[in-house]
Amino acid sequence: MPDVTVLKAAVADVSRQIRVRRAEFYGLRGLFGGALVALLPLALRDSLGWSGFLWAGACLAAGAAVGAAAGYFMRLPTGEAARLADRGYALQDRIATAIEWADRPDRTPLVDALVADAVARVEAMRGGRIIPRRIPREARFVPVPLVVGIVLALAPAIPLPQGALPSMSGTRQEDEEKMQERAGSLESQDRPNAAKREEARRAEVQERTFGPRAGAGGPSQPGDLSAVFKDTALASQSSDFNAFLKKGDERIRMLEQIDRLPDLQRDFTQSQQRMVFQKAKALKGGLKGDPSYQGDLNEGMEALEGGQSDRAMEAMERALNKLRAMEEKGRDGKSLRGGREDERRSGRRGERGPGGSPGDEGDWPEGEGSLPGRGKSGSPKGDPSQRLRTNPFDVGVEGEARAGRKDGMDTNLVGRGGSMPSRLQYLGVLGQYRKQMEEDIVREQVPRDYHGQVKDYFKALDER
Amino acid sequence: MSQSPTQPQTQEQRVQEFVAEFQQLRSEVRKVIVGHDDVVAHVLIALFAGGHALLEGVPGLGKTLLIKTLAESLDLSFSRIQFTPDLMPGDIMGTNMIVEDETGRKHFQFQRGPIFAHILLADEVNRATPKTQSALLEGMQEGAVTSSGTAHPLPQPFFVLATQNPIEMEGTYPLPEAQLDRFLFKLRVQYPALEDLTEIIDRTTQVREVNVSRVMTGPRALAFRELVREVPIASHVRDLAALIVLASHPQWERAPEQTRRFVRYGASPRGAQALVLGAKVRALSEGRYNVSVEDLRAMALPALRHRIILNFEGEAEGVDVDRLIAHIIESAENLSAAEKEVFLR
Repeated sequence: MPDVTVLKAAVADVSRQIRVRRAEFYGLRGLFGGALVALLPLALRDSLGWSGFLWAGACLAAGAAVGAAAGYFMRLPTGEAARLADRGYALQDRIATAIEWADRPDRTPLVDALVADAVARVEAMRGGRIIPRRIPREARFVPVPLVVGIVLALAPAIPLPQGALPSMSGTRQEDEEKMQERAGSLESQDRPNAAKREEARRAEVQERTFGPRAGAGGPSQPGDLSAVFKDTALASQSSDFNAFLKKGDERIRMLEQIDRLPDLQRDFTQSQQRMVFQKAKALKGGLKGDPSYQGDLNEGMEALEGGQSDRAMEAMERALNKLRAMEEKGRDGKSLRGGREDERRSGRRGERGPGGSPGDEGDWPEGEGSLPGRGKSGSPKGDPSQRLRTNPFDVGVEGEARAGRKDGMDTNLVGRGGSMPSRLQYLGVLGQYRKQMEEDIVREQVPRDYHGQVKDYFKALDER
Repeated sequence: MSQSPTQPQTQEQRVQEFVAEFQQLRSEVRKVIVGHDDVVAHVLIALFAGGHALLEGVPGLGKTLLIKTLAESLDLSFSRIQFTPDLMPGDIMGTNMIVEDETGRKHFQFQRGPIFAHILLADEVNRATPKTQSALLEGMQEGAVTSSGTAHPLPQPFFVLATQNPIEMEGTYPLPEAQLDRFLFKLRVQYPALEDLTEIIDRTTQVREVNVSRVMTGPRALAFRELVREVPIASHVRDLAALIVLASHPQWERAPEQTRRFVRYGASPRGAQALVLGAKVRALSEGRYNVSVEDLRAMALPALRHRIILNFEGEAEGVDVDRLIAHIIESAENLSAAEKEVFLR
């Protein structure tokens, strides 16, 4: 096996150089970090005293020492050191290859020649420093914290803010006593059943001034809730902390008087009930007819008087539904369908006989039955189309002509879509329908006998 | 001619002989070829690495002359095939012919084609049809020719030097990428410099007889090929070769921006083999026993330039593959250094 001792010694030398350079490099980095940390004890010299200097020095030294130690003992593979040795000595990777291949079982005869060549070249060279020194970027900024530190050391100590913060750790007993003292005179005597408030812990504040402040809008009376919300213009006042606390105390005291707080929920409910009662009364007086809805109305009013709002609402809703049903029934023949739903459902067409048809002259005069606004039709829509065969009366449209001529038709859907009012763009679609009609007539898709009737229909639409 | 490699020698002696004969070959070629030192060196490197070389250059630069001179300087058989569109595979490989023996019986006999030579000059290889090109490239890859189910091994060393003209594309069949990959190196023959051109004029327009000596035999060339493969390579150098090849792939997640932008296909593993083998020959030709990073840098261009396929944007922008490879090498070295601590870079 070839002897690579010389090569390993050369690599060890390079490794040592690398470690030293690393120690310098990382030591400078650590020095920078330590200098930054050292500013803290110098800034706190007022409280630390002369030991602040010691701490600062210790931070500097520790930063540099830790950095240097970390750099020195950082992991350094032999192969990398050999590669750097090759580069440093311009040996074209001879040392790295020789060391790597010397111990390999699959080494070739040429490796022996390589090792011999590398050893000869290394021995012929004088050892020198081949690892250049590197200065970290942070090192350029080391003077900055050092100068700041010197300034801090020479300048008088920075005074720290004095005075203790308000004690937030008052004993429970003291709290209880204060609460009793605060609430004792204010708590209403005529509210024996009032729920006792959960005791709130309060900060102990010393030296309070309870006198009224100037510009505060006058003294507030105990129990006057408006005062709680009125005086919010604190920005215009001088920053009197004691006065602020005092005002807060007063507000809390007022809020503790539960019996004087308005019962907003109760007030609201009563007013609403009153309004519903008056409306129901007016309705009862103004309407006559089916006594069933009047019974519901009476029941609702009784429930309102008794304060049973839920029951009253239910009764009112029933009465309202009945009223709506009556109104629906009263609108006979006014829908766009031209007939009553119940009549159609009850089979009025059937009364005309099995041979009856919309064109039968028995129900309406000739030429008028299918024209809009003329005569009456039992089934003006004719038979349902294929598309609507399953449920022809699922959705219908009813409505009235709007004010003005040919403007449009206000429509109301009944059935599933009843909750969504819509407007039919009458004039928008009429032209399309007319064009379609003319085309259908030309194509002879309309029976010849009906041509005149269809044309009259559209003519009548124009006249409306 | 030097002593036979069968005699007991030290490794140092073998290497020194290689260096001497390598330089001698270059000198012999230089007697005829003016300039083109890099091309000559790379052709010799390809010879000893056991690969084939494709020479690309405009007509009249001396490509064919270079190869002929090299063949003369080697004591090896030489044949030249001028590729034309009507050239058939049988014209290269040989064919079975009916021959009559002494007894009057007729039988088929394989008549060897011009491919059966140690050094084959495939002149203007891109003028033959793909079918004929494939026949040649199959022989290059397999080292044998199969005819009628019989394999006929090619003589060793078998060394193909092909030439092609990069600008005259009319009536040519450019070699597909897969077949280009069979060539170890692609060498660009550049136009000669002023001094070289004046020298060429002097040499070729005067009465001057140049004798090229034969400096190497076939077995010796084969022995040197074996020697080349014994050259050790350090792991960090090998890793750099792999990084260079990977960095030529746009799909690689750490590929440099230029590669992602301009490259369609990167170099194949064969490219890495060519890179390392070429680096080994170069190291040995310089008398070194190991491969260095400089060897890789020097071999990257001939080994990779025909294996990196530009995409449409690269073609449209006129990206020079050689410059792209230089960028890839730089990126690979930076990638390798970026993973290391500041003092180990």
